[in-house]
Amino acid sequence: MTELPEYIFERTFDAPRDLVWRTWTDPALLKRWYGPNIETVIHKYELKAGGVWLNEMRMSKGSDFSRMDFEEVSPPERLVWRHASTDADWNIASNPMMPDWPRILLTTVTFIDDGDKTTVRLSQVPVDATQAEVNCFAMAMANMDKGWGSGYAIIDEILAELQA
Amino acid sequence: MEQSRYIEPSVNLDAVFAALADPTRRAILSRLATGEASVNEIAAPFEISQPAVSRHLKVLERAGLVERGVDEQRRPARLKADNLAAATAWLAEFQAFWQGSFDQLNDVLVQLKKAEAKETGHD
Repeated sequence: MTELPEYIFERTFDAPRDLVWRTWTDPALLKRWYGPNIETVIHKYELKAGGVWLNEMRMSKGSDFSRMDFEEVSPPERLVWRHASTDADWNIASNPMMPDWPRILLTTVTFIDDGDKTTVRLSQVPVDATQAEVNCFAMAMANMDKGWGSGYAIIDEILAELQA
Repeated sequence: MEQSRYIEPSVNLDAVFAALADPTRRAILSRLATGEASVNEIAAPFEISQPAVSRHLKVLERAGLVERGVDEQRRPARLKADNLAAATAWLAEFQAFWQGSFDQLNDVLVQLKKAEAKETGHD
């Protein structure tokens, strides 16, 4: 099997692990932060392996729906879910803008205890993906991690000017 | 992630990412971002031949990132910034989603800690 591309995002929070775990697993807290500057509605949240989290993000031009099917819930250490974008009826659907973007991303959130602090490590890997989906995600990841070097930073600046 | 404002059927993001996966092509885009240029002008600072530049330009053209002028002599290449913006926006949004969410998570944690401190009478 070929190695799958992985997106990793890590951050350390100045709070004990139990508290950080609560912010991910209590829907009332979760909806306060999940989705930047977006109103998030959690339609269903079953915190157990085999349970589902149905999520709607309300935006000015319509809602973005996604469903997370939990594969592992190990308090307060690990959450694993299959992260899929869906239509309004929660059926898994590929993105109309980018059909080769992976429909399902296996998402693993690891909570690493560091005394008064907690490091949260998020990992996303395409699952049940076609070769086209894997390639698309791999190229996007490569561009995000290292491809966007100094040359690319220049383009970003110019694009910002053009769009100003 | 908000995509609707970028939807433009002519943009094939898969082709765009494939085109961007090559460092020489990204360098060519950087050059074109400063203004249109002929194949000769693009090739000058690179250690690659003009036919190689032409091949890279074709890939960029197919991805909709570059267009060629009609001037038969020079056929200057121009950056199509809109399509490049669509691709960068996609990646930026994917990244910004988690970054922005984690920023907000941090705010929630600060509030929770304050609330707990109040309840237990600690500072």
